Amino acid sequence: MKNSKFWFSFFIGPILFAFIIVVIVPMFMGIYYSFTNWNGIGNTADWIGFKNYIEVFRDHDFLSAFIFTAKFAIVSVITINLMGFGLALLVTRGLKISNLLRSVFFMPNLIGGLILGFVWQFIFTKAFDGLGRMLDLNFLEGWLSDPVTGFWGLVILMSWQMAGYMMVIYIASLENIPESLMEAAEIDGANAWERLIHITIPLVAPAFTVGLFLTLSNSFKLYDQNLSLTGGGPYNSTQMLAMNIYNTAFKFNAFGLAQAKAVIFLITVAAISLTQIYYSKKREVEM
Amino acid sequence: MFKSKRLIAFVMTVLMTSMLFAGCASKEQKEVSEEKDKVEVNVFQFKVEIAKELEEAVLAYEKEHPNVKINVQTVGGGDDYGAALKAKFQSGSEPDIFNVGGPQDVQDWMNKLEDLSDQPWVDLALPGILSGVTVDEKVFALPFNIEGYGFVYNKGIFEAAGIDPLKIVDYKSLEEAVKTLDAKIKNGELKEKYPLLEAVFEYPAKETWVTGLHTSNAILGQEFNSSIEAFHADKVAFKYGDALKKLIDLQANYSSNKDEKQKLNAVDYTRQAEEGLAIERVAMIQQGNWVYGKIKGVDENVAKNLDILPMPVKGGKEDCIPVGVPMHWVVNKDSKDEVKAAAKDFLNWLYTSDEGKDYIVNKFYFIPPLKGFENFEPKDALGKAVKRYAEAGKTTPWVFMGYPTGWGMEVLGNDIQKYLAGEYTWEEVISDAKAKWEKMR
Repeated sequence: MKNSKFWFSFFIGPILFAFIIVVIVPMFMGIYYSFTNWNGIGNTADWIGFKNYIEVFRDHDFLSAFIFTAKFAIVSVITINLMGFGLALLVTRGLKISNLLRSVFFMPNLIGGLILGFVWQFIFTKAFDGLGRMLDLNFLEGWLSDPVTGFWGLVILMSWQMAGYMMVIYIASLENIPESLMEAAEIDGANAWERLIHITIPLVAPAFTVGLFLTLSNSFKLYDQNLSLTGGGPYNSTQMLAMNIYNTAFKFNAFGLAQAKAVIFLITVAAISLTQIYYSKKREVEM
Repeated sequence: MFKSKRLIAFVMTVLMTSMLFAGCASKEQKEVSEEKDKVEVNVFQFKVEIAKELEEAVLAYEKEHPNVKINVQTVGGGDDYGAALKAKFQSGSEPDIFNVGGPQDVQDWMNKLEDLSDQPWVDLALPGILSGVTVDEKVFALPFNIEGYGFVYNKGIFEAAGIDPLKIVDYKSLEEAVKTLDAKIKNGELKEKYPLLEAVFEYPAKETWVTGLHTSNAILGQEFNSSIEAFHADKVAFKYGDALKKLIDLQANYSSNKDEKQKLNAVDYTRQAEEGLAIERVAMIQQGNWVYGKIKGVDENVAKNLDILPMPVKGGKEDCIPVGVPMHWVVNKDSKDEVKAAAKDFLNWLYTSDEGKDYIVNKFYFIPPLKGFENFEPKDALGKAVKRYAEAGKTTPWVFMGYPTGWGMEVLGNDIQKYLAGEYTWEEVISDAKAKWEKMR
């Protein structure tokens, strides 16, 4: 007991130190800069109060990026989790090739977002185009050249990449469901669908909490896939929040304004994620 | 039940350790290179087209100067060099030699720029060419080269269609030639000789530097006399706004996407140059002499047969092309003294020694910005064309380096995309671009 304080600080100390240096300090520096007119290069940064925050709400591009990001987050959270859960169900049915399938489905997640973006850019602009011409399907042509196909391109890319990751989380949870419960239900005459709805889904609710949280926050913070797939184009219509902030800082040299946006971004993402966790937690069932 | 948890644990451990190793590896590398007794000069440059050739020049220089080690890093083309440069400075690894565009950049980076007024090449500069980078009579930057752009066209196709390029001297004659060519492509007359040919133009609206900077400069280069003048202008009037619309419409309406112009917003530089002009899929593109290397990489015979047509501004000067300095070399003031000395010496070697000049003209395909290159004539077809325009005085200046930061690409370039997609009318493009210019000044 005497030593527990020492061991506590021994294990926590280094991590806490790193956390303060790389997260807490930059965060407060960022908040400070959001009240200045720093341009990102010079050594002068004058205090200008809340001007940046007022400017943010007048920035149409920021607002449209916000709406686009929100839409994207809603759609991709649904598709990613549905696909992830579906794949998890598929590979836990005891098929012979389950293990192989697991690795295959997980694989896209091991490739970097930038590379994936470029690979899919090629698929959308070249392969889709060629296919569309060959089969005379007009909707396959000219992908990523307008806001709608840009949006769905991003959704497809992200679902493809993230579904495997979510699958792993759902597998873990699915395999925790006692076989006896399933058997009992089967004997009582419940069919597969009823078992899924009334036993499986309530019991994997904790995994849904995690899955929803991860996909929601990741979709909001998305940058690299956005950059490499569409680059925000055409005319910034597929620009997401992170990219809008980056462009404000590095293309328009308005670091203070970008920081103000980033602070608002941080608050929004935190608020949405925490609300989601609160409600998902409430739905979880104890076994 | 345990299996999957272990799987997760395993995956996590692998990920974490690989991150750790990644961190260590880059650190070690740095230490090793610092240990050597050499002066190390880090170059961060923007011209993708010369990336490989510059490495060769560096090797040649290092052979003569064994105590100097030069590292070249290139970011450019479709990427935004300015953003990458700022990120580089933010991260603390400041390059010793980097690039600035013009007056706006010089002002932004002023407290990082070494005064280069005492360098030997200053006296050799062509008249007026240093005006954009001179502040209080101090010269801060060495021009890369002179470049010009216009409508780069395939002489063979024009000849086959029976069009005399020498007669194209204004907008009217250009439009006529385009229409003639378009008709001949449509009725299949050129099919036998050029099987891939499908349109007159290819216009990469995705590349906002082509639309927002270059196309717009054709008309703004006549509204402002120099980049300095544009830089000090509080307002932009779009005096030749209609001529700009004509230039954009002409390229869009006679492109392979003429029926669905919003698709132009997905056309990029590669599609325009390598997959367009170089394979004779299109006859003409709005580009500059820098595409020569790219085209040559695909088909040398096509490259040799290129020339440049004027970019006529209706109502203004018509028989001319915009010619200017795309980028400048600068030296970081905060580098160590011996590094700065080596950096300056390298730039000087590149532009004034015979070996360096050979690289400039014959490997980089640059049109030199300095005097003293009399024995080094440009060898490529497009360099010759630009030189021809320059010598005949048929030029307008490049002023887009004097645009407010981000205005050309992020504002006007995007507005033009909206125009092509039918989101904006032309009037909306002009009024939005005007309003944003005033706001950003």
